[in-house]
Amino acid sequence: MPRGTATIVGDELIVSRAADDGNTVISVTTDFRSRDYPVVAWIAAGIAPGTPVALLWRTDVEPARVNKRVLEIDSGQLVPIDVQGDPHWIGRVVGLALVVQGPIEQPLRVRGVVARPGTALETLRDRVREWMAPEPWTGASINTIAGGADLQPLPLPLMLAVALLMSIAVIGWLQRRRRGPMASVSRAGFALVVVAWFALDARWMVNLVRQAQATASQYAGKDAHEKLLAGQDRDLVAFIDKARAILPKEPARIFVVADADFHRGRAAYHLYPHNVWYEPYRNAVPPADQLRAGDWLVVFQRRGVQYDAARHNLRWDAGATVPVELKLLDHGGALFIVQ
Amino acid sequence: MIDALRLTLGWGVAWLVGIAIVAALLRATLKRDGTLAWTIGCGYFAGAFVVTAWMRVLSFAGIAFSIASIALPLVIATAALAWYARPAWRATSFSNSSTTRGERWVIYGVATWLAVRFVVLLLDVLFTPLYPWDAWIQWATKARVWYALGHIVPFARSDAWFAANGALWFDASPNYPATVPLWQVWSSVALGRWDDALMNLPWWLTAVAFAVAIFGALRESGMRAPVAIIGAWIASSLPLANVHVALAGYADLPMAAYYALAAVAAWRWTQDRTFGNAVLALMLAIACVTIKTPGVVWAATLVPGVVLALLPRHGPRIVAIGLAAVLLVLAVLAQTDPVVLGYRLHLDFAPAWQALIASLFLLGNWHLAWYVTIAATVIGWKEIRAPALAPLSVTVGAGALFLLVAFAFTNARNWVSDQTTINRALLHLVPLALVWTMLVLHAWYVRQRSSAATTPVAVAA
Repeated sequence: MPRGTATIVGDELIVSRAADDGNTVISVTTDFRSRDYPVVAWIAAGIAPGTPVALLWRTDVEPARVNKRVLEIDSGQLVPIDVQGDPHWIGRVVGLALVVQGPIEQPLRVRGVVARPGTALETLRDRVREWMAPEPWTGASINTIAGGADLQPLPLPLMLAVALLMSIAVIGWLQRRRRGPMASVSRAGFALVVVAWFALDARWMVNLVRQAQATASQYAGKDAHEKLLAGQDRDLVAFIDKARAILPKEPARIFVVADADFHRGRAAYHLYPHNVWYEPYRNAVPPADQLRAGDWLVVFQRRGVQYDAARHNLRWDAGATVPVELKLLDHGGALFIVQ
Repeated sequence: MIDALRLTLGWGVAWLVGIAIVAALLRATLKRDGTLAWTIGCGYFAGAFVVTAWMRVLSFAGIAFSIASIALPLVIATAALAWYARPAWRATSFSNSSTTRGERWVIYGVATWLAVRFVVLLLDVLFTPLYPWDAWIQWATKARVWYALGHIVPFARSDAWFAANGALWFDASPNYPATVPLWQVWSSVALGRWDDALMNLPWWLTAVAFAVAIFGALRESGMRAPVAIIGAWIASSLPLANVHVALAGYADLPMAAYYALAAVAAWRWTQDRTFGNAVLALMLAIACVTIKTPGVVWAATLVPGVVLALLPRHGPRIVAIGLAAVLLVLAVLAQTDPVVLGYRLHLDFAPAWQALIASLFLLGNWHLAWYVTIAATVIGWKEIRAPALAPLSVTVGAGALFLLVAFAFTNARNWVSDQTTINRALLHLVPLALVWTMLVLHAWYVRQRSSAATTPVAVAA
């Protein structure tokens, strides 16, 4: 670990700080024939997009020279690089290093580096691994499905479409040479499309089954409320449960403030059918002059809102103050009633 | 177990009233191959829409939502409509004797594959509490309030909300239509409690009923049963559509299904000119308007096809003039920077081609849908323009034009580059585009086969 600060946790090197010169360098001593292993993959996660990252290497042929190739980042991970065409990837590789320029904003997790042969079989394995990579549900799933790994040099739909086109062209050409009916080409084309579609669909079904298993392990056997407590906002749910016990049964006007869009929206959702108001897309507080006695205020993980217990008032952005009474303080949230 | 029974009965009532409506509308044609499946599949969509229409009436009349107030009138309506349609039911044939043994294996295999998919998706629907973002900031928000209060109350924007002094409710999109939240309300009423996983059953039913309806539509268009069921599988297998079932709560899948079926029903009307298909198409088109704000534009894309069918001689010219007028109006509007249906129009042609190509051809959203659709457009150009398919072709073209304008000239193009709204907007059109693609390819194949049958072939001695 020539530069920066890191600790080993399990089988990972956790880099927490760059060196004083702003660079982080992780190096390993190696000894392999460059010709046999032209693809280098650093297994690392937590790299912010746009961070300058490069692969360094030294060889026994040019021991004084440190070679460098810039690495690409995709979804926080480093993209494997093929250095076969590089004129300095020669002889035996005696050292590999990863250099990250700039400060480390979040811990960088490095599991190791792999040098792979660039054979057709190995390349095929890589592609299959990418196509079959699990794609669990995330907040982005409702908008787009990658179809395997986030980064794919050869997406499966494109590969199958090209294969289909070539197959149908060959069949059509053969049929034309034999002067056979073109209807049989269309039948063959239809069959090939169905087979290709099935291949894509089988991959997708495997993902669906995996995801259903994950969903079941998280939620199966739980009632509606237990599912919420097992979900993505369990702390907020626990707080809202306590708040609801204090709030009146009839719908009341409730204002919700929180730093995160997610917490504002989720808090409002859990508080309905109360008459909830919040800023869906801006981290803002309600206009103080619009609050009136009897309104309620939920503050959840929101900086800049100060409660003065002696004076029973809240002060927030732009110095506005609102007379309130604290009703609940729990799980990073607070419930007030406006006086 | 009780939950399952209550939900099944609740949505069973909705589906049955829809089947009865469609059967009553199509009673003259019910014995055709495929019409029964079309009736059952479309029946769900008709019923799901009628339930929400009835809930609107109840709310307007000041009658609280309950199982009795919602379901009882629907059960009576079902009985009356079933009585009216009963001669057609008797004439319906379930025979499949014309299929070969191999074809039956294909049918069983594809049906099993579809069943596995729907079972897996059902697990996600039943287990997952409301997950995707918009579902809990702008759709189920209304459902939660309306279910708890027992009637529809208005939602409003901030300024109106502050002025209303507690008489209005607020969420991230208070102007969004009510149909989808009312589905969740009906689920909750049938269930007897608020359960933000189980209330999403209608999304799963939408997927199942859509597959059945598409099988029926393809079968009725002349495809053999194995081909039609493969078509239904292809239309049901789109990964992004599956995600919208598993992570239920958005209105895009219902929008896509209603639009596709409205377009197919309108196309069927252009073929047989029956009153039943006209009413069905109109009902599904009206439903489109009540599901999402762009539904009004999707419904409008059905008009050129109808014009083409009604005026076969002058129709193409009228459609061309209408298209030019729409483009001219858009160009003029774009100079003034207006906001239409939430989209800021501006004549600044700058589509994000790279992101669009990735979405259509490289990512896993659509399997091979766009490759096949483009191939069909090329090889089936003659069929696309033929009188039989031209009305549906014009509708699909109008839909594609709407998306092109939205993503090339409006602020929506920002959503292309980050792969957010682009795919959800495409989802509205893709199921219909796939059905149209299959119809074009089938027509092309029939022409190939018939020309082969009539072309003399040299025989070797």
